[in-house]
Amino acid sequence: MAILEFNNVSKIYQQGENEVHALQDVSLTVEQGEFIAVIGPSGSGKSTFLSIAGALLHPTKGDVILNGKNLNSIKPKDLINLRLHEIGFIFQTSNLIPYLNVLDQLLVVKRLDGKETKEDKQFAVQLLQELGLGEKLKKFPEQLSGGERQRTAIARAFMNDPSIILADEPTASLDSKRAFEVVQLIAKETKTRNKAAIMVTHDERMLEFCDKVYRMEDGRLKLDESFNS
Amino acid sequence: MFLAIKELKHSKLRFLLIGVITILIAWLVLILCGLGNGLTTLSAATIKNMDADYVVFEEESRASMSRSVISESLVDEIKQQANVEDAAPVGATSTTVINESSTDGKKVDVSILGIIPGSFLEPQVVEGDSLKEGKPLEVIANDSLKKEGYKIGDTLEIEGSLEKMKIVGFVTNETYNHLPSIFTTLDKWQAIQFAAPGSDKGIEKPVNAIMLQGENIDAEQLSKQFDNIEIVTKAKAIQGMPGFKEENGTIMMMLGFLLVISAFVLGVFFYVLTLQKSNQFGILKAIGASNRFLAKTIVSQVFLLSLISVVIGILLTYLTALILPEDMPFSLDIKLVVLYSILLVIISTLGSLASVRRVTKIDPLLAIGRVE
Repeated sequence: MAILEFNNVSKIYQQGENEVHALQDVSLTVEQGEFIAVIGPSGSGKSTFLSIAGALLHPTKGDVILNGKNLNSIKPKDLINLRLHEIGFIFQTSNLIPYLNVLDQLLVVKRLDGKETKEDKQFAVQLLQELGLGEKLKKFPEQLSGGERQRTAIARAFMNDPSIILADEPTASLDSKRAFEVVQLIAKETKTRNKAAIMVTHDERMLEFCDKVYRMEDGRLKLDESFNS
Repeated sequence: MFLAIKELKHSKLRFLLIGVITILIAWLVLILCGLGNGLTTLSAATIKNMDADYVVFEEESRASMSRSVISESLVDEIKQQANVEDAAPVGATSTTVINESSTDGKKVDVSILGIIPGSFLEPQVVEGDSLKEGKPLEVIANDSLKKEGYKIGDTLEIEGSLEKMKIVGFVTNETYNHLPSIFTTLDKWQAIQFAAPGSDKGIEKPVNAIMLQGENIDAEQLSKQFDNIEIVTKAKAIQGMPGFKEENGTIMMMLGFLLVISAFVLGVFFYVLTLQKSNQFGILKAIGASNRFLAKTIVSQVFLLSLISVVIGILLTYLTALILPEDMPFSLDIKLVVLYSILLVIISTLGSLASVRRVTKIDPLLAIGRVE
């Protein structure tokens, strides 16, 4: 089942008199249970691609269909709700809230939705245990290592039981060992929970865990055959 | 509320600093409020205490007792008018008295108020007897005179005059024109005030004003029915007290400034904090926080902080009241304390609206693609 579809999506930025084609005719389908990677040098349009997939940015042309819903036809206010319920973000510097402990980082997702139940708390604890943070529930971000922070961010992304996980350079601030662990965990959670996941990265060491690899160059997205044969 | 409280708990020092500033402002606001109330009481407690609705003055006296002389004979006529339930004349003089009964002979400045014994203008005594018609020597005095060594039975001599008076009772919280009040009969007051020939401007039985009871009095209409008088509300008569507007105005101006300052201090602090946390708000928005949620977080944070600070400010103010010298014009009216506290909290909370506006403009895209 297709979770996310890009149909000839383009994004053009106006910079003075020039038009910058950040995305050009990008088409892609991500299936349930699939973990794909988008690689490319900086400035190639990876961030724009992820922002559009995450309903943070409107494409200039083309349709984005998430779980059967065309994002173009959703009101901005409902997009917030869509992000809250359908999308799990993992940001590059883990971007946790500094004054919340590990458990609260997850529970705040439920608070955004208005309520936090006992089951939510159990689910949060279970997620954190799966990610090896069972001992760190009451720690604040400043007391965690980079790897632990990123694992907390992974847990947070899964907290709202989303349809798709979007990871933006999740290994950017980690050494290779931690980076491998983190990507492995994203892959594992994606598979066991049967989600779709997209990881945007420029780190080619991490691709062995991915089902498909796309390469982004100057706003164009191509399936990278060398990884997918 | 969730994020608001968690952050307050986590960044204690940061919020403590701004809290201390707010506490100091609240403290100052409430002290000024007590001082203003104290001065008002000192200036006009006697009139405030009077159970009257309107006051009759001489025309062109601009609602000031000291500028107004009218005839007592008006009282009976005015009583006949529609909506006037009762009327009573009053006269006031400031003078200096000497205690004849004591050897140290300490002089005291007082206000002497002439009233008709038993009229609604006579205050209840807290000690001793009340005034009686036909006993012009007897007076009742404010109990602050006790501190100057005066007691019941003492004879007072008015400086520069042959008039004498005897204290038969004490009343409390009666001051007029910043001086303790002494109540005497109208006849006696007239004898003191108009001792010099011709000083009564030829008016028979002169008084300064006539107090009226009756909520539904049409002051303008009533003024027109008589020659040479004007009728104002009691509130306006209090405003007409010498120095009242000036004192009150100064304090109100300071209070106003403080309220605005507190809104700005909190507003700017939270605005800067919001700018600093733009990225954090961006992330929250990216993972699905609505503007409403973030606005509630900020407003509840400012509200909590100002509420706690104001409560501490109230406690400090009452502690201050304990150590202030007793003769300082400082009196805390619980109603005013509550009013200013609520006002302070509301105005401070309004100061957070700039931050709320800022937050609604933060783009969730901030969360994506930033390399640090």
